Amino acid sequence: MKVNYILNGEKKEFEIHPGEVLLDVLRRYGYKEIKGNCYMGTCGACAVLINGTPKTTCTTLAAQVNGAEITTIKGIGTINNPHPLQTAFVEKGAVQCGYCTPGAIISAYALLKKIPNPTEEDIKKALDGNLCRCTGYVQQIEAVKYAVKLLKGDDK
Amino acid sequence: MLKLKEVKECLYPSSIEEAARILREKGDKAKVVGGGLHISAFPNPLIETLIFLNKIDLNYILIKEGFFHVGALVSITELTENNGLKGFLRGNVTNSFCSIASELLRNQISMGGSIAQREPYSDVATILLTLNSKVIFHNGNIEETVPLEELYTKNFRLILKESVIKEIIFPNYDNSYHFGMGRFVRNATDIPLLNVAILSKIEVNKLKNIRIFIGARPAPAYGFKTLEDFLKDKELSEGLIKSAREFTKENVEAENDMRINKDCRKQIAGVFVEKILTEFSKEV
Repeated sequence: MKVNYILNGEKKEFEIHPGEVLLDVLRRYGYKEIKGNCYMGTCGACAVLINGTPKTTCTTLAAQVNGAEITTIKGIGTINNPHPLQTAFVEKGAVQCGYCTPGAIISAYALLKKIPNPTEEDIKKALDGNLCRCTGYVQQIEAVKYAVKLLKGDDK
Repeated sequence: MLKLKEVKECLYPSSIEEAARILREKGDKAKVVGGGLHISAFPNPLIETLIFLNKIDLNYILIKEGFFHVGALVSITELTENNGLKGFLRGNVTNSFCSIASELLRNQISMGGSIAQREPYSDVATILLTLNSKVIFHNGNIEETVPLEELYTKNFRLILKESVIKEIIFPNYDNSYHFGMGRFVRNATDIPLLNVAILSKIEVNKLKNIRIFIGARPAPAYGFKTLEDFLKDKELSEGLIKSAREFTKENVEAENDMRINKDCRKQIAGVFVEKILTEFSKEV
């Protein structure tokens, strides 16, 4: 069957198996920035924004979100034009192996859209479904706080 | 990794009647998809038809005639962010829902799907049972409204093989009622090892209309009627709270499983009962 998405701002049509999860479809079509891991929704590595809400693509059926607007990490910023969150993750050492980073930034991005001045508790709550085995989370939390400053132009 | 290999078609009915009719026609080989978490995490190889409810307006929260009406496709996050529900029972209901799983999973788990699956460890079921919720479902011909507690005493899986959940309703309790919930988990995405929820009216410092449900024990949530009787019409005092904790440890129905033994579950249940009642005494 065919599905249509607005993917990172572009209209796309994909041929899918009716029982496929979104993670597999997107990776098959080259969106390798989405990382697969647990296939149970528990690690958060595969998170994208679906109509603005962060969700795990390993537990989202591709057919269920036919017509949706989907944003991956590359839809938020690029290497040449990074989003302040991406800059902050690099500068604060919130990245080590990098496998969980796209999902963590997606969750943080959705948080800052909803709550531009989050408390540490808000940040922890937003990231609690994104498992990271490298950073110990402290740097990720610091990075989100720093991104808030960058977004306000108050990074000094 | 294609998990649902046998799925051959996806249908998008435009009404709940049509969804129920398709479900009846296709029988065991069809599945209604709510949030989609359960079927993708625990695929059923028998399923050939997926019925998506996206085209039906089941994503609403209304307050009507003293009841909250929650559409089956409302996610836990949507419920916790609803302005009408935020202050309900001092915010303790939305706070309880906020404690379930992770934000990413709360964004996906639907209320209807949680009720239909009713996993033994379900926190959603424990909360909704405690709130004395009712479920409205449609079998293609007629709409039925059944108390959730009654639905779960019947063969609800058989009923929901031919019916689609439309809505969950629960009373808009006034502030003379108090609500609290406790869940014991090892990490954010873990399923609970035990959960406890209590709803009670407190009148002249006495507990009235008390409802207590305990789940993930590891059997499904059940109404802890003996504790309700023990507490009914009694004055909420430090002494009563301590007695309730001991009563719970002695009398709660809990079993062993590979994750935790029953004695530990009983101890935890007692601690949660004590904590929730202590919070109630602070709120009065």
